[in-house]
Amino acid sequence: MPPLELNELDPDWAWSEYEPDADQPWDRRRVAHLYRRAGFAASERELREALQLAPAELIQRLVEPAADETFEAQMRQLVEATLAGGDPARLASVWLYRMLATPDPLREKLTLFWHGHFATSAAKVQDAQLMQRQNAVLRQHALGRFEPLVQEISRDPAMLVYLDSDSNRKSHPNENYARELMELFCLGEGNYTEQDIRQLARCFTGCEVRRRSYRFNQYQHDSGVKTFLGSTGAFGGEEAVRVVIAQPAAARFLVRKLVHYLVCDEPRASDRLIEPLAEEFRQRDLDTGWLVRRVLGSQLFFSTLALGRKIRSPVELAVGLLRALEGSTNVVELSGELGQLGQQLFFPPNVKGWEGGRNWINSSTLLGRANLVEKLLHGSPTRFAGGTLADLAERYEVATSPRFVDWLAELLLAVPLPDDVRRELVEVAEQPGGDRDAQLRRTLHALSTLPEFQLA
Amino acid sequence: MRTTRRQFLAVTGTSAVLAIGGRLPEFWLRAAAAGESPTKGEKILVVVQLSGGNDGLNTIVPHGDESYYRARPQLAIPRDQVLKIDDFHGFHPSARGLADLLEAGQLAIVQGVGYPDPNRSHFESMDIWHSCFRKDRPRQDGWLGRYLDRAAGTAGGDVPALHVGEEEQPLALAAQRVRVPSVRSLDRFRLQLESGEADAATIQRLVGRERPAASDLLGFVQSSSAAALEAARRVEQARRQYQTDVEYPASGLGQKLRTVAQLIDAGLETRIYYLTLDGFDTHARQAEAHAALLTELSGSMAAFMDDLARHGHAERVLLLGFSEFGRRLEENASAGTDHGAAAPLLLAGQAVRPGLLGTHPSLTDLDQGDLKFHTDFRRVYALLLESWLGCPSAELLGGSYEPIAALA
Repeated sequence: MPPLELNELDPDWAWSEYEPDADQPWDRRRVAHLYRRAGFAASERELREALQLAPAELIQRLVEPAADETFEAQMRQLVEATLAGGDPARLASVWLYRMLATPDPLREKLTLFWHGHFATSAAKVQDAQLMQRQNAVLRQHALGRFEPLVQEISRDPAMLVYLDSDSNRKSHPNENYARELMELFCLGEGNYTEQDIRQLARCFTGCEVRRRSYRFNQYQHDSGVKTFLGSTGAFGGEEAVRVVIAQPAAARFLVRKLVHYLVCDEPRASDRLIEPLAEEFRQRDLDTGWLVRRVLGSQLFFSTLALGRKIRSPVELAVGLLRALEGSTNVVELSGELGQLGQQLFFPPNVKGWEGGRNWINSSTLLGRANLVEKLLHGSPTRFAGGTLADLAERYEVATSPRFVDWLAELLLAVPLPDDVRRELVEVAEQPGGDRDAQLRRTLHALSTLPEFQLA
Repeated sequence: MRTTRRQFLAVTGTSAVLAIGGRLPEFWLRAAAAGESPTKGEKILVVVQLSGGNDGLNTIVPHGDESYYRARPQLAIPRDQVLKIDDFHGFHPSARGLADLLEAGQLAIVQGVGYPDPNRSHFESMDIWHSCFRKDRPRQDGWLGRYLDRAAGTAGGDVPALHVGEEEQPLALAAQRVRVPSVRSLDRFRLQLESGEADAATIQRLVGRERPAASDLLGFVQSSSAAALEAARRVEQARRQYQTDVEYPASGLGQKLRTVAQLIDAGLETRIYYLTLDGFDTHARQAEAHAALLTELSGSMAAFMDDLARHGHAERVLLLGFSEFGRRLEENASAGTDHGAAAPLLLAGQAVRPGLLGTHPSLTDLDQGDLKFHTDFRRVYALLLESWLGCPSAELLGGSYEPIAALA
């Protein structure tokens, strides 16, 4: 029986393996749900293929897809060409292209997660190459163990420049990185003291960025004994990171954040629900890949407490729409538009990254979202599987207006439409004016203004 | 049929003026001469949030204190450059607009504002300023949001508050019932519809249909969508009517304040506008960056007040400028300053009691290197709620705070 309240759940049930039954059947809706969360969206083709597989098989394929060397080579070329131009804003469009075309969307979804988690903005770093290097680090470790990722980030030039820690001297330890390491990256507010910050800051003295590279300057390192978070020693940065992530709060902090990223925005998951998973996560040495697979394959993930319980980020909205309809578009224009909606890749708003959830939504962004879809459908060279929307519908034998509305709803909406809204959308599709393609685009645009469209 | 604001004023405006004692305000005379009815309007609060932690010590400079010069060999403002307020205090030389406002009797500077046991995290401290509460309790709404929840329904068809900016909406405006829209510019704040598309009325109808099985989240998005469509309609109406001779700085804040002036003059019944000026987190090479920020802030504020006066709204608009914390007294090795605690806060408008309020915090009696506060920020909120917005404050602020005496 599907539970009604997240924090009233039996954690054992919540995290046990998903078993399809009459209440939670393995159907098109749940396949689309899995694709939305473990990536951006399923196309009609992907939906049909996926239904031939058992849930666990599909999740296995999503977590570990076959390597695609051709695609990676193409991306390397694209990145190099973009870096030659030197504009970090252009990197955003390359990343968007990757999200649209990648055979490994889960990795991009997690790279985006870490980009928000270890938020670093090119507005301050002002160096496309450093931003791209950080992006590659995030992608490489996106589904790996947490510690190597944090160690890399702790000496990542873009991060150090962003947090004013690229010239950290022992006479004046810069507290910024130490503070964010505990507050935003590993533990969360309330799990350390101001005294811990001052001590931890001493561990990172001697960190420098010179000629775009990390350098450790032993003459500026405070080699004295530090005491923080209950540990004492003459710690350097690397040991200090280990002390921080060995805190019990670290696993809880990450599990909770990833659960909200993958499963539902709200309500805030209780310790009771999170702790069993956090405990296993600790035993697995904070292996993110394990955690993601575990969460995606859980009963909770396929329950009504997860379906449609997230608000789409601007990137998820645009990439999801395009991937569902096998679309391609002008990604340079698109990345600019996404910035207007509050999610410019490589330019998170502050150290905390994008807050997400309800924070995405206000009048300005809602109008902007509708206008973005309008622009994708009219103003830019958007194609669907190389053709028009009418061509795509025809390819999948979606012949009538009611079928078209239902088909769009299945591909794009996480929650069902009320009957009267569905009926009126069919009327919109039937309105005279323009050819069949114009009618279908009009219907898609109207659908994109609905509250249901904002949910993932 | 609903009577519009202007129609309403045309009927009742005269008696409203007589009720305040027979003295006709200048704007009334001017408006009457121009042959239009004035927008009486309610009092309006404009909040300008200085994000990142404004260096209060280099905004209101304690040039009479040697300790200031000792602590900041690189960053102190030389005495001969300070725009002097008195023998002890003065403005940063880039804050010319603030000095002019003070001169005109339109600026109050509340000194030493903060709260007990200061938190030096941007987010936590900002959350405390926004919500009035610390992390030990759930914070789902902000002090202004709680005001909106209480006052909403009295503001006619207009949005009760508006966030002007592209950044995430501040927690201060988060409410349980009321959705505050955000706009970045009036131009983007409309639903673009190609010809041949479903018209705005159809979309409004589809959005408004009942969702019987809606989750909280869907309900939230639905009410937000309905609010967005309605606000877009109103703002589009308001946009057609504005003209001004005042030159605003071309900067972000200047243009946002211009937008606010436009909406106020259009007779929108919105009572709270919220804007942000970001970039005050000056850990390194502070001097130039901070000067540029103060230029933008003070120039924009001065232009805004001037514009309001010319359009006859200066008496009913109050501007609050605050930051999540000040900065440490001692400069750091990167020619910047680190997160601090107490700082001055600004109130601008014709209604203020001009000048310095309270004493400058001591530069020798410090708390971990930072200035100690003597005026809780909630005392400022108490004044704004009680005397400006006309709302009991204790419940909204989580306690009873004595309003500061910053209004004339």
